[in-house]
Amino acid sequence: MSIRLPLPSRTLRRLAVVGLALAALAFAGCGGSSGSSSSSTSSPPAATQSSGGGSSAGGGSSSSSSSESSSGIPQNNGGDQDEDNNGGPNDGDGNV
Amino acid sequence: MLGLALALAVAGCGAGARSGASTATPRTGTAAAGPFPALRPAPPPSGWRTATLPSGAVLAYPASWHAIRTDSGTASAALTDAHGAFVGYLNLTPRQGGETPTNWPGFRVSHNRGEGDLVVTARGSARGVRFRDGARGTCVRDAYTTKTHLRFIEIACLLHGARADSVIVAAAAPAQWAAQWPTLARAIGAVRS
Repeated sequence: MSIRLPLPSRTLRRLAVVGLALAALAFAGCGGSSGSSSSSTSSPPAATQSSGGGSSAGGGSSSSSSSESSSGIPQNNGGDQDEDNNGGPNDGDGNV
Repeated sequence: MLGLALALAVAGCGAGARSGASTATPRTGTAAAGPFPALRPAPPPSGWRTATLPSGAVLAYPASWHAIRTDSGTASAALTDAHGAFVGYLNLTPRQGGETPTNWPGFRVSHNRGEGDLVVTARGSARGVRFRDGARGTCVRDAYTTKTHLRFIEIACLLHGARADSVIVAAAAPAQWAAQWPTLARAIGAVRS
């Protein structure tokens, strides 16, 4: 006397393998962003007082480099050295 | 079983996108975080200081705040705590890149990511915002975490004025946002461009 299963065991094994593969793909493809949120443990960047302080804007040194865009705000030393490039709030420049 | 596995895979991807660094396109008007806050053009309160850019644009900020080092041709002011940490932040910068009133919400969010911010979430935008002297602008509200793991909420507006096109940024830490918003809103409403 033989017992007849609803599905052949071979088919069940195949489905299990496919399911595991899809689960692995889901974890590999979607888990990349989970490590980006970390708690605030570092010391905050100190706001640097402007030496100008008057009624006209200038702020800081404005030495130019050859890599600067002629139409953009000077981006010294790979960054403009203002607070937004040192961990502070982002300013409104359209460059980095 | 195959269907269940597919459903789980899709659901897992969706959840990651909502909580991770990538965000959806900002919505106009009402956003998930609530309606876009009202902004009204008005002269600054008496006693506020002003900083005038070479372009002619003017940033106003409270006397209790101080000007901070910033890019040449721009103006920044901040309120800091006893440890020098930012409590509130204002910046006025001439428009200089490819930002337009149409692309501004997406442009700003992309720019913040380009600055190296770790988590950038758009929280709505508003178009046709009125500023002083008849200027009009587009504003976006978003939040981001800096490279040094500090979190800020900001409203950044690109405005088209008679003198120049300018960007004003008003930001504060999430814990300070509610308390600083009245001041930040006054500063945005007082800007001239």
